[in-house]
Amino acid sequence: MLSLLRFGVISSFLFAIISLSILALKTFSFGKKTLYAKPRGDAKKGVLYAFGRGMLPWEKESSSKHLITYFAGMLYHAGIFAALFYLISLIFPLELSKLFISFLRFLFFLGFLGGFTLLFKRIFLPTMRKISCPDDFAANTLVDLFLIFAFVHTYLVRATPLFFLVAIVMFLYIPVGKIRHCVFFFYARILFGLFYGRRGVLPPKTHKI
Amino acid sequence: MKDLLEEKIKQLKPEDLKKALQVFREKLNQEYAAYFNSCIHCGLCADSCHYYLTHKDVQSLPAYKLNLANGIFKKYFSFVGKNIPGWIGAKEFNQAMVREWVDSLFGRCTLCGRCSLNCSLGINIHLLIRTARSALASIRIVPLGLQSTVDTALEKGNNMGIAKEDWIETVEWLEEELQEEVSDKQAVLPMDKKGARLFYTVNPREPMFFPLSILAVGKIFYAVGESWTFSGDNYDVTNYGYYSGDDEAAATMSDRLVQSMKKLDCKTLVLAECGHGLNANRWEAPEWLSKKYDFEVKSILEIVADYIRQGRIKLDPSLNPNPVTLHDPCNLVRLGGIVEEQRYILKHAVAHFIEMYPNRQKNFCCGGGGGQLAMTRFSQRRLKAGQIKADQIRKTGAKIVATPCHNCIDQLMELNKHYKLGVEVKTICEFAADALIIDKS
Repeated sequence: MLSLLRFGVISSFLFAIISLSILALKTFSFGKKTLYAKPRGDAKKGVLYAFGRGMLPWEKESSSKHLITYFAGMLYHAGIFAALFYLISLIFPLELSKLFISFLRFLFFLGFLGGFTLLFKRIFLPTMRKISCPDDFAANTLVDLFLIFAFVHTYLVRATPLFFLVAIVMFLYIPVGKIRHCVFFFYARILFGLFYGRRGVLPPKTHKI
Repeated sequence: MKDLLEEKIKQLKPEDLKKALQVFREKLNQEYAAYFNSCIHCGLCADSCHYYLTHKDVQSLPAYKLNLANGIFKKYFSFVGKNIPGWIGAKEFNQAMVREWVDSLFGRCTLCGRCSLNCSLGINIHLLIRTARSALASIRIVPLGLQSTVDTALEKGNNMGIAKEDWIETVEWLEEELQEEVSDKQAVLPMDKKGARLFYTVNPREPMFFPLSILAVGKIFYAVGESWTFSGDNYDVTNYGYYSGDDEAAATMSDRLVQSMKKLDCKTLVLAECGHGLNANRWEAPEWLSKKYDFEVKSILEIVADYIRQGRIKLDPSLNPNPVTLHDPCNLVRLGGIVEEQRYILKHAVAHFIEMYPNRQKNFCCGGGGGQLAMTRFSQRRLKAGQIKADQIRKTGAKIVATPCHNCIDQLMELNKHYKLGVEVKTICEFAADALIIDKS
């Protein structure tokens, strides 16, 4: 039973990877925009900014004015990455120390707290409801469940089948909805950095002219 | 009164909608498709939009506006959207959607890019909204004032429909003014001078309503002894095709300046103080025309800042004693990269410069961009959306607002009246010209 579920996790993960690759290829099929205008700034510096300083909470009003949401989002994603790592450690049995597992457990908890805060916000804020579709709720709930079962599993090894099952459903769902941003986030940030870097807008600086 | 745009929407046939969708698809590239696939509906862009902050309605929220375009992308260009549209918010493109696109994407957006800069994912929302405008423009569903501005520019060569002889007469009159001001009968405002180093363009509102802006630049060029020229035929720096989303019209307008550059054999195309004119002609036009320019394109601000830095002009800031604040035009600063030049000039030209906050890339739009000034059907919204800018200005306590953009000037003048700010609005070069010390030797 467990080895079947383990196979299911690997297969669904591969399904997600293949589907996301197809999605990415489909996106590339829309064609690349050739740029003719002479750059004013450094596109590479723009990309570095997009993944570095540009991610800091005070760099954008959208984060500085919404620190709770910002930190909820950060913790959520930290929890997700930790849970994925934990899942890998179970699929390809890796020995993890008790202390490390306690640390992961803490991350799962914080991640769930972050995810639940965002879900709560989406459910109860009228504006958020108006810009949401069923996928927004489903994706968040599914990932929250993934974090809950990762957390439970650190106490209760018997929960392995359920943890694997949730992981399978989550992986199968990734290409369907918004979780696909796990790939497109990186591409969008690169494009953002290239656009503003090339135009000399970002990183912000005081020009010596 | 009959709403002509609404009549046009009602008369849309399935083939019109199909054509708009086709154009929407043609304008998409991998960059835009990636952006559409990225939005997570976090709604954090809300506070970055001056429309949302002042109106507080969901239709003004950038994520909602993006959703309008994204819903169509999902429905027609994604597997899940085609099969389970309701699940991911995919929407049918029909008359109701066209109506909503017009209301939100034309009527609640100035394409200022502030939401793009604040997007958690980095989605260039304004580019996607402009793409949706392009689809509407292809079936002539553009608010009438904006469309007629584009049409006038295409037909008459400039967006105000100024006849060539009127333009030349205005320059001749300004030349006399310049000669009087600098007490030099040799001072000229050159017209169609072949081989000049700089070809200087203007916003047609300048000869029509703000001739002092032209005079100011003429005076600076005179002080430097610059080799420069106007063009008798094509001098319009504005490009309302950029705002309407009509790339073909936009390309035609920008190409006129390129042709003038060739005809006059100039080295640098100098763009007057105009936000969207800079964005359109410096950044977008080479893409519309699919060619690299073999000449430089610069803002007049870069030129004047260079003159100061090189010591080619001397300015006396005490000649501008009143407190001055600066409004950053979105297209020039956030989307154009001209951030410090205007500050550098003002710091040399005025005695008391006060920054408003937020500023530079993070500035708030005045509300006059995106073609809003031409779209009278949305003027009440435009004025309300400008309240943030009005409050920012008031907080500085400045008596004069400097801004390098005539679109912004028009909006700021209206805000001045509407919100009783009691300020004067001027271009950057006007300050520089007023502070100019002309060395007669």
